[in-house]
Amino acid sequence: MSDDDRIEYLAGEPVGALDPAERADLDELRTLLADPSVWAEPGPGLAGSIAAAVAGAAADAAPGGPVPVEVARRRRIRRPRVAAAVAGVAAAAAVAIGLAVGLGGGSQSLQYQAALAGTGLAPAATAQVTLTQTLSGWRVTLQGRGLPRLDNGFYYEAWLKSPGGILVPIGTFNEPASVTLWSGVPPTQYPDITITRQRADGNPASSGQRVLTGVAHPAR
Amino acid sequence: MDPEVLAGFAAGDPDAVRAVYGAYGRLMYTVAYKVLGDQGLAEEATQQAFVRAWRAASRYDPTRELGPWLAAIARRAAIDVHRQEARGGHRSLDDADPGDPALVSLPPSVDQVYDVWEVRRAIDALDPADAELIRLQHFEELTHTQIAERLGIPVGTVKSRSFRAHRRLAELLGHLRGDPTKPSAPPRRKTG
Repeated sequence: MSDDDRIEYLAGEPVGALDPAERADLDELRTLLADPSVWAEPGPGLAGSIAAAVAGAAADAAPGGPVPVEVARRRRIRRPRVAAAVAGVAAAAAVAIGLAVGLGGGSQSLQYQAALAGTGLAPAATAQVTLTQTLSGWRVTLQGRGLPRLDNGFYYEAWLKSPGGILVPIGTFNEPASVTLWSGVPPTQYPDITITRQRADGNPASSGQRVLTGVAHPAR
Repeated sequence: MDPEVLAGFAAGDPDAVRAVYGAYGRLMYTVAYKVLGDQGLAEEATQQAFVRAWRAASRYDPTRELGPWLAAIARRAAIDVHRQEARGGHRSLDDADPGDPALVSLPPSVDQVYDVWEVRRAIDALDPADAELIRLQHFEELTHTQIAERLGIPVGTVKSRSFRAHRRLAELLGHLRGDPTKPSAPPRRKTG
């Protein structure tokens, strides 16, 4: 069997007799080429959320936990670069600074955004979310489309989740068209946003019925 | 990958994190999607994998190839996300998607995810137009005629481009015996 025959077979063209082992090998490749995971595309915000997650992890790793931005800036300027580990902490602070200053923009508030996509439970649903840092916490505005109003014992609940899987509820609502919620945890460390459909049955845990999911990333 | 980038990655430098993401993020996402079969969960796993890689970067041996190391981390992170979902989910089976990997007992093996990784890497090395043609043919299962209609080009052009694209793909994945006088493609790992 020539290389041209192998290519023709791989491309789905009819070819003559094939060695069974070669056919199996090429069939395996054809199966892989049809595998959805080969063609799945991550969302455009993933790079930003990863940078934020690494920054958050780096901040957590710093002595004393997350470093306040302004303090981090001063420390970074004064700290002598004496060791790689120390440099790592400085870089972590630099990440936090970069996120806060570069993305917040001077006196403007730090903002994150997310485009939420519908899950299998609500494939036509979408939502735009903006998270704005304030002295009171993070103001979360959500404009949803493609979801019905829920009431009469049912409601929606919004959640932020950390890369480590810690789930924090940030509010409940009935009508998803325009909602304002508040979060006491930052999207820098809790970048995953989910909206679940809940039943008012006294159980405060997530129902697991996610209708919208997405990842917050720094606003441009 | 540039050692300075790796050093920057280990230090949490945002530019270095983005550089590593640019080089390997898509592939790590592919591995995570292979395990989880869900875009949101795969993104979550990819993110967790990057954080884990950052934490482990000081233990990374720079004499070894970075890709397999990251692929292993991505697979592990995806399996952990899968387990978290299995523990935390309260959906009834009636609500579950039949294709949900939570309904499958075992995650893909290391060899299986690495095969997907290699195929995706080979596709990334193709001309984007050729990669799209391969996608239409194998993933969307379109015929040459349908591809010609979709792309607005003659069927003959589709056939010639298809042959060229598959030849390049087969070369990249070591599926050709080729001319022994020419440099050979890297041997393809056998799946387990």
